[in-house]
Amino acid sequence: MAVDRKAAVFLAAHALRLLLALFFPSLPNLLTGRVEVSTPITSFKRLQEGLYLYQRNVSPYDGGVYHQAPILLPLFSLLPNANMSPLITAIFFSLVDLVNADALITIADSGQAVSGRFYTALRKHIRWDGLSIAAWFLFNPFTIATCLGRSTAVFTTTGILYAMSNAVSGNSLNAMLALGFASYLSIYPALLFIPLVLLCYDQRAQKPTPPGMASFAIKHFMIFLFSIAGLLGVSSLIVDDFPQFVSATYGFQLLVPDLTPNVGLWWYFFIEIFDSFREFFLGVFWLHLAAYVGGMTVRIRRQPLFVLTSLLGIFAIFKPYPSISDASLYFALLPLYRHLFPLMRYTFFAISAILYATLLGPAFYYLWIYAGSGNANFFYAITLVWSLGLSILLADIIFAALRDEWEYDNPEIRGKDVRQV
Amino acid sequence: MPIGPPFTPDYRKGQLTAIRKLRKNPRVLFVRLPYILSLVCIVAGIAWLLLLPLDEYSRRTYISENALLPGQVHAYFSGSEQHVFRGYKQELEGLIPGEDQEKGVSKADAQFTSEVSNKVQSILSAAGLKVATQAYEYTSSGITHQGENTYAIIRAPRGDATEAIVLVAAWRTADDELNLNGVTLALTLARYFKRWSLWSKDIIFLFPPDSKTGTQAWIDAYHDMQPASVQPLPLKSGALQGGVAMEYPFDHRFESLHISYDGVNGQLPNLDLFNTAVSIASGQMGIGANLQEMWNHNDSYEMRLQTMLRGMVKQGFGYATGAHSSFMPYHIDAITLKTKGEGWQDEMALGRTVEGLCRSLNNLLEHLHQSFFFYLLMQTNRFVSIGTYLPSAMLIAGNFTIMAIALWMRTGFDMDTQSGPTAVSTSAPKEKTSSSSEARSSKEKESATPSPEPSGIMERQLALPLTLVGGLHLLGLVPLYVFNNLSYKVSPIPQVQQLNSMTFLSISNKQQHYTMATYICIAANAILPTLLAAVLSSLGFTTPKPQQYLLIKSFSLLLLGLFLSTLATLNFSLSFMIGLLCAPLTFVSRLNPQTTSVGLRYALSTIGLLVLNLLSPPVVLLGLCWYTGVSVEHVLTQAAFGWDVWGMWTQVVVWCVWWPAWISGCALLGFSLF
Repeated sequence: MAVDRKAAVFLAAHALRLLLALFFPSLPNLLTGRVEVSTPITSFKRLQEGLYLYQRNVSPYDGGVYHQAPILLPLFSLLPNANMSPLITAIFFSLVDLVNADALITIADSGQAVSGRFYTALRKHIRWDGLSIAAWFLFNPFTIATCLGRSTAVFTTTGILYAMSNAVSGNSLNAMLALGFASYLSIYPALLFIPLVLLCYDQRAQKPTPPGMASFAIKHFMIFLFSIAGLLGVSSLIVDDFPQFVSATYGFQLLVPDLTPNVGLWWYFFIEIFDSFREFFLGVFWLHLAAYVGGMTVRIRRQPLFVLTSLLGIFAIFKPYPSISDASLYFALLPLYRHLFPLMRYTFFAISAILYATLLGPAFYYLWIYAGSGNANFFYAITLVWSLGLSILLADIIFAALRDEWEYDNPEIRGKDVRQV
Repeated sequence: MPIGPPFTPDYRKGQLTAIRKLRKNPRVLFVRLPYILSLVCIVAGIAWLLLLPLDEYSRRTYISENALLPGQVHAYFSGSEQHVFRGYKQELEGLIPGEDQEKGVSKADAQFTSEVSNKVQSILSAAGLKVATQAYEYTSSGITHQGENTYAIIRAPRGDATEAIVLVAAWRTADDELNLNGVTLALTLARYFKRWSLWSKDIIFLFPPDSKTGTQAWIDAYHDMQPASVQPLPLKSGALQGGVAMEYPFDHRFESLHISYDGVNGQLPNLDLFNTAVSIASGQMGIGANLQEMWNHNDSYEMRLQTMLRGMVKQGFGYATGAHSSFMPYHIDAITLKTKGEGWQDEMALGRTVEGLCRSLNNLLEHLHQSFFFYLLMQTNRFVSIGTYLPSAMLIAGNFTIMAIALWMRTGFDMDTQSGPTAVSTSAPKEKTSSSSEARSSKEKESATPSPEPSGIMERQLALPLTLVGGLHLLGLVPLYVFNNLSYKVSPIPQVQQLNSMTFLSISNKQQHYTMATYICIAANAILPTLLAAVLSSLGFTTPKPQQYLLIKSFSLLLLGLFLSTLATLNFSLSFMIGLLCAPLTFVSRLNPQTTSVGLRYALSTIGLLVLNLLSPPVVLLGLCWYTGVSVEHVLTQAAFGWDVWGMWTQVVVWCVWWPAWISGCALLGFSLF
C-alpha cells in the first residue's frame, strides 16, 4: 500500500511535468529565460552553449558564457540535443526531481527532525509522513518552475538532500561524498559541513563504541576533501586548461562579476558600489553568509538537522546568485518541522509577502525590461520584499525551535506567554 | 508620599477605560473594525479618483524631452505638394469601384485590393523608396482575416539605419471607414520627405489594409515574433523610435484633430509624444486637438472627469483603439491623428502637422523615456501621473487584503474563546484577558490550554479552504478557454471575411454561439455556488466548520487583493473597475445559523445571492452591451480576436481573478441555506 501511494504520487508529479512540457511547448524556454529561475551559474541556456563548445573540442569556458562544473558536459552529451527533443531533457530533469523527493522521504521517515540524540520535540506526534512532504516538494510551483526551467541547481539540490538523507540514516561516508559533489558543483554547500558532520556524529554516537569527536570530524573532513579532489581530478581530464576552469567556475561564483538581476540582494548592491570598495564588500558579504554557520551550530547544537535546514534558508536569501530553486529546497525541508508550526506567529504575513513578491516580481520586471516604463528599482524593491518574506519565515521558525527547546528545558513554564526581546 | 492610585487626568482615564473595554471585548476589534476599515478604504478610493480632475491634484502637461523642440521648425509641406496630392488621389480613386446603387456597392466599402496595392507600390518606388509587401492571415473564432501590408522605407541621408520612425496610413480606419485621404497624404509625404536631406532616422511608410490586423502582423514580423501564418518582412530598418498613424476618412475639410493614444492592455505611449502632437497641432498649426471623443470640452470639472473616465474605460478593456495600438507592446510610442468635424483645415494642414511631428521625432537623441508612461489625461493639457492616481486603486485592492488579514486573525481569536472554557479549570482568568493581544490570538493555543500534554493544540484547518479556493481559480480556466475558442460559425464552411469588422454586426443574428454561451454561463453561475454549498454541506465528512467559512473568505480575498494590487501597476483602470465590482464580496459572508433565525437567514441569503448574481461577470457584460447598444456577439468576437491576435489578457483577469472571487463569495452565501 505504501509503495502504491508513493508510486502514485511520483507518477502524478512526473506526469504533471511532462504534460506541462507537452501542452505548453514554449513554457520551458520561457522559464529558462526568466531571471528568477535561471542564474548565470545554473542557466540551461549557458549549459547548452558550453555543451556546443565541448562537443566541438573547444574549451567550454572560452567565450565567458559557461560557468558550471565540467562534469555536467559529458553527462548532457549523452542526452540528445534539447532543442531537437525537448521531451527527453524534460524527462531527465523530472527524474532528478523524483530522486530528490526520494531522498526527502528518507530524511522525513528517519524522524530525525523530531527526535535526535539530545533532544525530542514536545509535539512530536504532529508530523507529516515522508510521502506528504515529498508531495509538498513535488507539487510546489517553485519546484515545478525550476524543473521546467531546467536549472542545473537541481543537481546541487540532489547533492545536499542525499548528504542529509545519508547522514540521518548513518552512512556518514556517503553523506560526505554527496556533500563533496554538491560543493564541487556550487561552492556554498561546503558551509554545511560542520552541522552535517555533527549530524553524522550524533548518529554514530548512538551506536556502540563511538569514536572521539575530533578524530571523527577530521576523518570526515578528509573524506570530504578527497571527494572534491577526486571530482576536480575528473574535471581536469574533461577540460584541458585547469586554471581557466577554476577561475570560470569557482572564481565566478566567489567574485560575483555577473550582475544580471536575480531574486537576491547582491546584484543591485554591487552595481551601485564604487569599484575601489568592491573587494572589501565582497569579503563582508561572504563573511556575513559564512558567519551564520558557527552561531547556529553552537546555539542549536541539539538539532543539527534543523541547523542544516535553516542554513539552507539563509543561503536562499543571502547567497550571491540565488534563484527560486534555493527557496524551493528550503520550502521542501520546512514541513519536516511541522511540529513547530503551532508555535510560529507570522506565517500568514510571511506567506502573504512571498505571494505578493511572486506576483509583483515578474510584473515589475516586465515594466522595467519590456515595457520600459519602470526601472531597476521596481524589481529590486520586490526582491527586498521576497527576501523579507523569507526572512520572516526563517526567523519565525528559528524562534519556534528555540521556544520548543526552552519549553523542553523548563517544564514548569510550559504554555506561558513569552516575549521576544 | 501617600500611597494610592496615582493621579490620572480625566481624559487619560477615559482613554484607559476605552482600551480596557477593547481588551475585554476584542470582538469589536476583529469583527466590526475590519468592515469599517474596508468600507473606508473603498469610499476613500472612489473619493480620491473623483478629486483628481481638480486643479490642485492634476498638473499641466509639459515637454520633458528637450530634444523634441515641438513647433520650432517651419513646415514646408504646402503649395505645389497639394497638386501632387490631388494627382495621387485621382489615381487611387480610379481603382475604386464607383457608387452603384443597384448592386449595393458603395465607395466607402472599397477594399485594399491588389490593384490598389500595386498602385501604391508603383507610386512609392517612383518616388525613389524601397518597397516591400507582407501577406498575413489570422484566424480567430472561425473567421479568417487575411490581407497584405505594403510598406516603404526612406533611408536616412544622415543616419546609419539604426533608428526609424513609422508613419501608418491604414486603408480602413479603426472605425472601418475608407481612409482614402490619409493614404494619399502618406504617399504625398513619402515623395516630399524623400527629397529632404535632414533626416537622421529612417522613415517607414506603412499601408496596412485595415487598422486591426495589419499593423500587428507587421510589427510582430519586424521583431521576428510573428506566428507561422504571417510572412516575415523582406525589408527592415533599425529600432523604431515612434509611430504616427493618420486617418482622414472623408472628403471635406476638417475642423480639429482627434488624438487617440490607448494601446493594447492599457499600455500608453510616452506622454511627451502626446504633448508634442498637441503642441504642434494647436500651438503651431492652430488646429484644435481633442481626446477621448470629447468634442465640446470646456475644461469644467464634469468634462475633465468624463474625459478621464472614458480614458479609464478604454484602458481597462485593453483593446486596440487604432492602428497605433499594436506598437505599444514593443515599447514603441505611437499615436493616431484623426481628422474630425467640418471646418476650414485641409489635408495640407494635417500633412504639416505630421511633418512637424516627424521633425521632432527626428531630433530625438535617445528613445523617449523622460516623461510619464502612466498617466490619466483629462484635457489636452492636463494630466495626473501614477503617483497621484495609483493610491485610489491600491486602496480598493487594500480593502480586500485588510479583510483577509482580519479574518485570519479572527479565526485565531475564535479558537481562543472556543478552547478557553474547556481549559478554564486550570488557567487563571487573567490569562484569558491577556489572550486578546493580536500576536497571541494569531499564535497557537498552548497557553489557553495549559495542560502539559501538548495535545491541546488547536490549529486552523486549512486543507478544505485552500483546496476550494485553489480549485476555483483553476476552474476559471474553463470559461477562459471556451470563450476564446468558440467558433463564430455561420455556415459549416469557415467564412473568409475580407477584413470587414462591420459585417460582424450584420450577420450576428443568424446563429449566436456567443450569446448562447453567455446565457449558459449565467445559468451555471447561478447554480454553481449553491450546488457547491449543498454538496459540501451534505457530504458528512467534509462539512465545513464555522472557522473554515472564515478561512475560505480570507484566502479568496487575499488572492483577490494580491492580484488586484499587482494588476494596478500594469493596468490601473482594469484593477480599479474589477475592484469596484468585487467590493460587495468583502461584506458577504455566511450567515450564522445560531444567531440568525431560519426565515431571516433564507430571506437574506436569497436576496444576497440575487444581488450578487447581478454583479457576475456575464451579467455585467450583458448590462454593458445593453447600455452601449453593442451586440454581445460583437464584443465577445472582438475579445477572442484580441486574445488571439493582439495578446490581450483582459479575459484572464475576468475569469481567473474576478470570477473565482465572485464564486467564493456566492458559495459563502449559499452555505447559509444549508
